[in-house]
Amino acid sequence: MLSYGHNALSTDSMRRTLLELSPQDAVFGHFEAVGGYALAARRAMHAFRTGPETWKHIAVGQRKWANLNPDAFAFKEPLTFDDYYRSGWVAEPLRRADCCLITDGGRAVIITSAERARDLKQPAVLIMGMGQHNPSCDVHQAEHLTGPTGAKKSAETALRMAGIALEDIDACEIYDCFTYTVEITLQDYGFFGPGEGEDWFKEGTIEPGGRMPVNTSGGQLSDAYYMGLTPLSEASLQLMGRCGERQLGPKTKTKPPQIILCSDNGAILQTHSSVILRRP
Amino acid sequence: MVDYKKPLPCVNDDTREFWLGCKARELRFQKCRDCGHVRWPASPVCPSCHSMDTDWVVTSGKGKVFTFAVYHVAFHPGFRDDLPYVVADVELEEGPRLVTNIIGCAADEVRCDMPVVVAWEDITEEFTLPKFRPTPSP
Repeated sequence: MLSYGHNALSTDSMRRTLLELSPQDAVFGHFEAVGGYALAARRAMHAFRTGPETWKHIAVGQRKWANLNPDAFAFKEPLTFDDYYRSGWVAEPLRRADCCLITDGGRAVIITSAERARDLKQPAVLIMGMGQHNPSCDVHQAEHLTGPTGAKKSAETALRMAGIALEDIDACEIYDCFTYTVEITLQDYGFFGPGEGEDWFKEGTIEPGGRMPVNTSGGQLSDAYYMGLTPLSEASLQLMGRCGERQLGPKTKTKPPQIILCSDNGAILQTHSSVILRRP
Repeated sequence: MVDYKKPLPCVNDDTREFWLGCKARELRFQKCRDCGHVRWPASPVCPSCHSMDTDWVVTSGKGKVFTFAVYHVAFHPGFRDDLPYVVADVELEEGPRLVTNIIGCAADEVRCDMPVVVAWEDITEEFTLPKFRPTPSP
């Protein structure tokens, strides 16, 4: 069983963990994780065309999924572009609406052999491919903040193992600690080139009715933060057809999903893993 | 200075020379005797060639802003009165990048690749912080 649970909202444990990550930097008032991702996002704004104009599509698009998901923390809170711009700065260039939630709860996924899974009550989802790549280097010295991050080689490995191309992916469940993480991950996966994100995201690409649905539970920005289990559990539920109003397919005017690409990453873009799942 | 309410540097065997340098208003970094790589954070091993043969060198204190973040939330109460303040990753001429603060200009004037020079700030009897300010125009 692969599980994650945390009472991060009702205790100060998540906050304490993050604040104690880099004591040398705390001297200068620098705290992870939002501070580190703000540094990465700012450099990206310098390196190619990106910024709030791009990220607003991610925050708003994912919220539309959350508004279809009664389990999402932001289920009853719509988010418009105006709301996005009104949301306060945390560590500029990141606003509150660019940051993931801190939540209480957990998710678990059971992994077993395909043979055993045949006898289970729920239809199983198959793992087609996996990949990892870890540039590791600390944010201070990192050259990968604006890509390619570990996402590039990680996805290449997973796609090769699955024997498919990016064009075969029907939807993505992307680790979204911050909006910029979603942009740089999809960019490194090859969905668009550096600086083309804004054009790719606009017209509702990732939203209900869009051609490449992303983070269909609302993701960590609008559903709940359970580390890599937020994307992995949502991809599994979608492929099993257990997602109710947000179910990919006719209900949300999207392609019925056969194959979903999931990501996870750690620290400030220092580790990355990709998992490709499919319907049996 | 006795009322200093922000976190203090944690000095260990790797970083002692750096903080002693700051007290003397010198920006000291480790330089690999084998490959010449100048590094930060301090460590016993060169991240470039894995040599443990190391010198400490004094750097120029000149560099440019690689990237920066403007904090509008104080994650530690000691920074509340400074909001908004600028944290930057400054790339020194000699190579290493250092997380620090940009002072001496408004937060909305800071840019990536902006030239900066070290500006020393004594915070306690023991510690001096290397902050950076925009390089004055000639």
